[in-house]
Amino acid sequence: MSFLLKSATIVDQHSTHHLSKKDILINDQGIIEKIGSIQKADAEVIRSDNLTVSPGWFDLRANFCDPGYEYKEDLFNGLKLAAASGFTAVVPVPNTKPVIQNKNDINYLQRFNGQQTVKVYPSGAVTIDCKGSDLTEMLDMYHAGALVFTDGHMPIWNTDILVKTLMYLQKTGGLLINRPEDKRLTAFASMHEGEQSTVLGMKGMPSLSEEIMIIRDLNLLNYAGGRIHFSTISTEKAVKIIKKAKKKGAKVSCDVAAYQLVFDDSLLHDYDTNYKVNPPLREKSDQRNLIKGVKEGTINAIVSAHEPQDEECKKLEFDLADYGMLSLQTVFPNIVTASDGNDLELFIDKLTYGPRTVLGLETPTIETGNRAEITAFDPDDTWWYGGANNLSKSHNSPQLGQELKGKVIGAINGTHHHINHFVKP
Amino acid sequence: MSELSVNHLLGIKNLTYDDLQLIFEIADQFKEVINRPIKKVPSLRDITIANVFFENSTRTRLSFELAEKRLSADVINFSSSSSSVKKGETLLDTVNNILAMKVDMIVMRHPSPGAPHFLAKHIKANIVNAGDGTHEHPTQALLDTFSIRSKHTSFEGLKVAIIGDILHSRVAISNIFALKKLGAEVMVCGPNTLIPKFIHTLGVQVELDVMKALQWCDVANVLRIQLERQQIKYFPSTREYSLYYGINKAMLDSLDKEITIMHPGPINRGVELASDVADSDHSIILDQVENGVAIRMAVLYLLASVRSNQ
Repeated sequence: MSFLLKSATIVDQHSTHHLSKKDILINDQGIIEKIGSIQKADAEVIRSDNLTVSPGWFDLRANFCDPGYEYKEDLFNGLKLAAASGFTAVVPVPNTKPVIQNKNDINYLQRFNGQQTVKVYPSGAVTIDCKGSDLTEMLDMYHAGALVFTDGHMPIWNTDILVKTLMYLQKTGGLLINRPEDKRLTAFASMHEGEQSTVLGMKGMPSLSEEIMIIRDLNLLNYAGGRIHFSTISTEKAVKIIKKAKKKGAKVSCDVAAYQLVFDDSLLHDYDTNYKVNPPLREKSDQRNLIKGVKEGTINAIVSAHEPQDEECKKLEFDLADYGMLSLQTVFPNIVTASDGNDLELFIDKLTYGPRTVLGLETPTIETGNRAEITAFDPDDTWWYGGANNLSKSHNSPQLGQELKGKVIGAINGTHHHINHFVKP
Repeated sequence: MSELSVNHLLGIKNLTYDDLQLIFEIADQFKEVINRPIKKVPSLRDITIANVFFENSTRTRLSFELAEKRLSADVINFSSSSSSVKKGETLLDTVNNILAMKVDMIVMRHPSPGAPHFLAKHIKANIVNAGDGTHEHPTQALLDTFSIRSKHTSFEGLKVAIIGDILHSRVAISNIFALKKLGAEVMVCGPNTLIPKFIHTLGVQVELDVMKALQWCDVANVLRIQLERQQIKYFPSTREYSLYYGINKAMLDSLDKEITIMHPGPINRGVELASDVADSDHSIILDQVENGVAIRMAVLYLLASVRSNQ
């Protein structure tokens, strides 16, 4: 199928058309045939008042719950959902049942690659069952297609395992992703520690639990060499520590969940379990500094941290409910809110070049003759997030039922595409 | 004002100053009722109340049950030991099953903070929080402040020290909210490991030395060490705790003033309070128990009035 994107603002810092408004013709071979003024073409025309395009978005962290928890989400549905959210590539977390920890598992996750708009870049577990004690066969997984190694939700708490992984992965250039959390400091806690946790009578997770792990891991990195990526950082100080380490030349990168840029712990006032996430929603000052970190470039990528949960896991007392929020379809609206009308291109960069650079991948630029890997969106348009417009199998989002500003129009990846057709409430 | 601003008693945090005064005024009347030869009034005779307790309780449950019976309500009791909760039923299912039997009000104690708030979002009955984990215990704070009110002329400038395990105490948080709304000054005192790190954000002073806290206060509300709620160790031994945080008569005698001693019960005698303090003239511990019935009658009565006006 051919597409003509009319009067689209191109957000692509490596393109000669960066920030200019052009018509873009993509032919039925999935190639960008022409960029300029195109009056007529035998193609499906895509229009929107403030149509904007960028290279296809890349999500470094989403949970598709497959295999094992297919009733919450599954790979096929997850890929459709990601495409509808504007993504053309996703790294699913390995915390499935069983855990993604051998080359068969890696192949299982890649089985739809080439047939869908979204390509899966599998991540393999660092330790067997993500339990933190015995290393998996990472080289074997790397050769099967895994570029990323992580225990996903589970922090790698064992210093010796972390050092060995950093050393072991240097042969391949595979990326180690760690979720910085000292589990001893967060034991029995289910929200951020601060005024709000005191008022709500809940044990809190101190910001320190994240920061102390980052400091620890940076020291281990300094000893072992290699590189490390911190997943879903959430505190003001974490941004500052990483900024300082980068200045000193440490091979470190990090990402943040889009919802952390717009939500804070005051939203937990009535114990809404849809806001129960890990790392927890922190304070306004953390939120401000995370946004600053994105704009300054300390934070390399924005991730969805999509975590579907079924009703049985969420319609419960707060401390008994599971962590997680549906967050793929809300990435763009949340970014639009966080940017508040300024520097949106800096945020988009963290969905395009940022994550690919972290993985050492090339970003597909928007130039004539290139294969089209493009996300089309309108930051000013609104849509209703509810009913049939929620494409996840689960419903655990506090934003469901709301009119959201920032609409993904669709994603095109070569000859595959997904164009959204949202219904009204 | 003759009506509460809320449909449920989920916590003191949600109450206004006027709500507190109204509850006190109604409790004054019920206190007079329960001291009559015939201690019963027909106010709630068309109301069925379920006392749903997912945690052990003796005095709170007895106090609620007595209050309900004094108001002529029909009462049913449910506790987790005899419940289907252990068979894996959710809280919502359990409560909906009880409500299907046409129950009007739920008095609930639950180990999860926010459990009554969760329930309030999903069911129609009026809910009274009888303690939710380490969050709030609103009727305890109401009876505590009601008891202080009968001993001291005004809350304005009154200094109240809450001493003991603040971290695991729902009584502490509810008392802080109530006392601050009424105009009192509040200090918390205990081992630093048992004081929430951000408690100062609630506008209270923090003191680690129990003697200094006693010297500062007019009223000392001494809390129990909640060993059953401590999932990890916060201090080495009860022996050391009682040595450094226990209150005895010699300590009170060394003060140049008389202070009021309170305790929500049950007392660990010899740990946080020596017997010669618990049983002394300073102590209003048994007044608290008596006032508990009057306060709970007032709360149930006022919530039932809100219900009938809906």
